[in-house]
Amino acid sequence: MKSPLHTLTIKKVHEGLLNKEFSALELTQACFEHIRKTDPEIKAFLSLREEAASREAERVDLALAKEEEIATLAGIPLAVKDNMNFEGEITTAASKILETHRASYNATVISKLKTEQAVFLGKTNMDDSAMGSSTENSAFQVTKNPHDLTRVPGGSSGGSAAAVASHMAIGGLGSDTGGSIRQPAAFCGVVGLKPTYGTVSRSGLIAMASSLDQIGPITKTAEDAALLFNAIRGKDPLDATSTNPSNEEKYEAELLNPSFDRIKKMRVGLPQEYFIDGLASEVKKGVEEAIQKIKKLGLEVQEISLPHTKYAVPCYYLIVPAEVSSNLARYDGIRWQGTKERVEANTLKERYFQTRGEGFGPEPKRRIILGTFVLSSGYYDAYYDKAQRVRALIKQDFENAFEKVDVILTPVTPTSPFKIGEKVDDPLAMYLEDIFTLPLNLAGLPGLSLPVRNQACEPLSTDLPVGFQLIGKPFHEPDILGLGRLYEETT
Amino acid sequence: MVERHARPFSFSHTCITITEMADIIDKKALEHLAELARLKLTLQEETKLLKDLQNILAHFDSLKGLDTSNVAPLTGGTMLQNSFREDEERESTNAGKGVENFPENQQGFLKVPKVFEH
Repeated sequence: MKSPLHTLTIKKVHEGLLNKEFSALELTQACFEHIRKTDPEIKAFLSLREEAASREAERVDLALAKEEEIATLAGIPLAVKDNMNFEGEITTAASKILETHRASYNATVISKLKTEQAVFLGKTNMDDSAMGSSTENSAFQVTKNPHDLTRVPGGSSGGSAAAVASHMAIGGLGSDTGGSIRQPAAFCGVVGLKPTYGTVSRSGLIAMASSLDQIGPITKTAEDAALLFNAIRGKDPLDATSTNPSNEEKYEAELLNPSFDRIKKMRVGLPQEYFIDGLASEVKKGVEEAIQKIKKLGLEVQEISLPHTKYAVPCYYLIVPAEVSSNLARYDGIRWQGTKERVEANTLKERYFQTRGEGFGPEPKRRIILGTFVLSSGYYDAYYDKAQRVRALIKQDFENAFEKVDVILTPVTPTSPFKIGEKVDDPLAMYLEDIFTLPLNLAGLPGLSLPVRNQACEPLSTDLPVGFQLIGKPFHEPDILGLGRLYEETT
Repeated sequence: MVERHARPFSFSHTCITITEMADIIDKKALEHLAELARLKLTLQEETKLLKDLQNILAHFDSLKGLDTSNVAPLTGGTMLQNSFREDEERESTNAGKGVENFPENQQGFLKVPKVFEH
């Protein structure tokens, strides 16, 4: 029996379109039909654009009918996290303070995908301003984990991960500041890539912590992640921190057609600090299963040490609030209204206080206050400066480890998906969710979250998904994606 | 516990060790921070925030034992080099954009409440 169209991968859709097995419009319609059936329960999408998406798909069909060459992402229905500007569409970052904000330009990733003629289904739910690990912080709705509706999909890119896992979208975009692509990917049983800092332009991404934020793909396979990542990456004049890999041609070739012979010769490091007592037994079991499979593939596995790991959470949660308090200062209710109901205010200052007080959710407020504190004179050295020095040590740990190994394998999360409501009132417990993912952001490294067993095809299977993380050297996405593909193809 | 001044976040540089940090945010300090951040907080929010911040800062105490005196702070992502572009004329593609989001505008200009107060 043929698989329903909406369950296909990017790779399969591209082949199917080229072979004229189906049209882009049929596929887009199949996705929307599935969304209508599924999303009332999952609540992954904040907005849908069926008319506009259908027209985008028709243009691809027209190009195909004229025998024109189409890009790999042409006609691929995608879900986009709602913190990426999409010209003409409401773009909220799931925050009340951006409830009425209509984007006046496209994020660079959106422009690139439009050039590829991708199809945009709609914008997905997330934690308010990308702050959170469960998508429960959204100002608008709580997204459910497609594998168990009583559990969280992870966050902050929980909407995109849930949409891809439940086959409402063929692929999706997320953003990752401390794990916001990788953790929801692990919780939903799909693949998520946090690229090296600077490989993907941040222009048009609603900023959370600018020295850590990166956009990346959430997909059903590692191969799809490579395809979507390749379409969005590259130096952008609009983001001064963006850059190209030093050998662009070799990089792209390895990204799209990895040499498995080379991959099998890589050395894999297991950092002892990541295999701690607090690791849930199901996660431990899952990650061990992945390690055994990778050993069987012929890769050499050895134990390594990243001694400053225990300082990563406090370091991260000092740096992030500092950057948040600065980035979120622009939300003042002046250049756009902010909340839907305009606040009553007679003076400018009153307008600031009212708009920000009513518009920000509890987590942004917590981080703004904390950030204002750690940046204030007298506390700056003891907190912010200290954290930046610790950040250097954490980066150094990875540099030392990468002298011995080529990739590092770790769990993605300490637990499997937790219950909705379980941690929502305990910010510290929520922060500790990111313990295995945020060190990479501090060090600017690429990380791939891969399901131990691919469960995207069975969104309502009874087992909860478990993921593992592959960490690469800077600008070595081809290493981790290549190993990911090898893992998928042989298991 | 340090002596609290009327304005605890003044520009005078005081030397404080991290052990004291968790205690340092009290209700008054929180109110001052909210004032600096232009954030209106309800009484309920203040109570919850105060408890959360104290917990979070206590957790951060673990950093104090780490010697970082010989480490230079890492201030950004990975590429610690400046990024230059040619200083040349470019066509602006977004002139006039964003005006549609203005809550109030007059001939394309943004109308704001009075800036100076009496």
